[in-house]
Amino acid sequence: MLEYVGKIRDIARRLLSENKVDVVIGFRQGTIPMMSEPAVVSRPEDVDELYWDYNCGINLTNYLTKRTDRIGVVAKGCDSRNIVTHIVENQIKREQLYIIGVPCHGMIDRSRILAALDGQEPTAVVVNDTEIVVTGPGFERKFNRQEYLQNNCATCIHRNPVVYDELVAEKVEEQKLDDRYADVKKIEAMSPDEKWAFFDKILAPCLRCYACRNACPLCYCPTCFVDESRPQWLGKSIDPTDVRTFHFLRAYHCAGRCTDCGACERACPVNIPVRLLTKKLNMDVEDLYGFEPGMVPDVRPPLDVYRPDDPGGFIK
Amino acid sequence: MSEWEPKITAFLCNWCSYGAADLAGIGRMQHTPAHRVIRVPCSGRISPKFILAAFRRGVDGIWVSG
Amino acid sequence: MMKGLLEYMGTEPGRLHFSWISSAESTKFVEVANTVAEEVKALGPAKHFIKEKAEVA
Repeated sequence: MLEYVGKIRDIARRLLSENKVDVVIGFRQGTIPMMSEPAVVSRPEDVDELYWDYNCGINLTNYLTKRTDRIGVVAKGCDSRNIVTHIVENQIKREQLYIIGVPCHGMIDRSRILAALDGQEPTAVVVNDTEIVVTGPGFERKFNRQEYLQNNCATCIHRNPVVYDELVAEKVEEQKLDDRYADVKKIEAMSPDEKWAFFDKILAPCLRCYACRNACPLCYCPTCFVDESRPQWLGKSIDPTDVRTFHFLRAYHCAGRCTDCGACERACPVNIPVRLLTKKLNMDVEDLYGFEPGMVPDVRPPLDVYRPDDPGGFIK
Repeated sequence: MSEWEPKITAFLCNWCSYGAADLAGIGRMQHTPAHRVIRVPCSGRISPKFILAAFRRGVDGIWVSG
Repeated sequence: MMKGLLEYMGTEPGRLHFSWISSAESTKFVEVANTVAEEVKALGPAKHFIKEKAEVA
C-alpha cells in the first residue's frame, strides 16, 4: 500500500508542474491514527503532503461537484464509479478530470477497532498484508486485516477503478463472493412487525446530524428535502417518525445511483448501519433492471428513464 | 358507524383515473366511500415524499392510480 | 422500488397500491377501488409511520 504513495506523489507532481491540472485532490495523513483526510494540492512543491493508506474511505467524488477547474483526482474503485455517476448527472465533465486510479485493497473499519480497544487510545497504526497492528501507551493489539475491513469493502466486487487516466499499480484481483446481500435477505425474511421493530432499534441512536448525507457524493441538491420548509416534509426533531422518514428518503434518493462506497456508514458518529437501506435498493435495482450504478458512462440510471419493458408487476 | 372504515388517500390522474371516477359517478355505480381523492395533473407528479407525507398524517392506505 | 423499501422497513404490503385505469374504464375503477379498500380494511388501522406530536414549522 505504501508504494502507492510515491507513485501518487510522482503523478501529482508531474501533472501540476506540466500544468495539466489546476489542483490534485487526494488524501493526506490525519492528525490522529486511522483518520486520513482529503487534501487539495495546487502547487508542485506541496505534493509530498499526499498520502495513501488503509484509511482513505472518504469518497473524494464529493469534492468534485460543480467544480470548473481542471482536477487531478485520486480514485479507488468506488470513487471512480461515483465519478461516472457524476459525469452522467452533469456534475462534472470528463475533460476536466485526470483520474489517478488506485486499485484498492479495502479500507479498515476504524469504529470497530476503536470499539475493540475499549477506550484505550491508539497512537500508531501499522497495516501489513494480513494484520493491523495498533499501538498506544502501554499496549499493542493485533487485528486480522480481512476481518476488520469496512463491511462494504468486504462485500466489494469492484475494487479496481472503472475509469482512469493512469493507474498507480497493477490491478488487484476482484473478490468472488457467494452472496453480497445476505444481510438484506435476512431482514427481508422477517415479518412486517419484526422489520419495524428491527429498524426502530437500529435508527434509535440517530441524532439527525446529516453526516451521512454530507459524506455522500450523490447528495448535492442545492436544497435538501430535509431543509425544505414550504412544504415541510418532515420535522427537524429526533422523533422516531421524523428519523425514519429522513432515512427512508435519503436512501431512496440514492436508488440506482449508490455505489456502496460506505462513506455514509463511515461518517456516522453513532454507527448506524445506514447501508442496510441503500443496499436493499441496490439489490432491487440489480434484480429489476439488471443495472449496476457507475459502471458505464452515458447510461442514465434506471429510475431516470422510461423504457417500455420496465417492470410493472406492482401495477394493478 | 359501527364498523371501522379505513381512510385511504387516492392520488388520481386528472386524465385517467379521475375521469374513470367521474364516469363511475355518472353511471351511478356503487363503491366504497373509503377513498379521499386528490386530483393530480399527472400521476408522474407523485413523489415518494407525498406518499410518506400522507402516511405520516395517519392514513391507513394509499392508492396511486394513473 | 418505493413499495419495496417501505415493506423492507416494516410497512405491511397492501397499504400502498398502484394501478393504471383509463378514463373510460369506470367498471375497473370501481373494482380496484373496492379491492384496495378491502385489503386495507383487512390490515386494520395504520400503526406505523404516523407522527404523533404536533408538527412545528
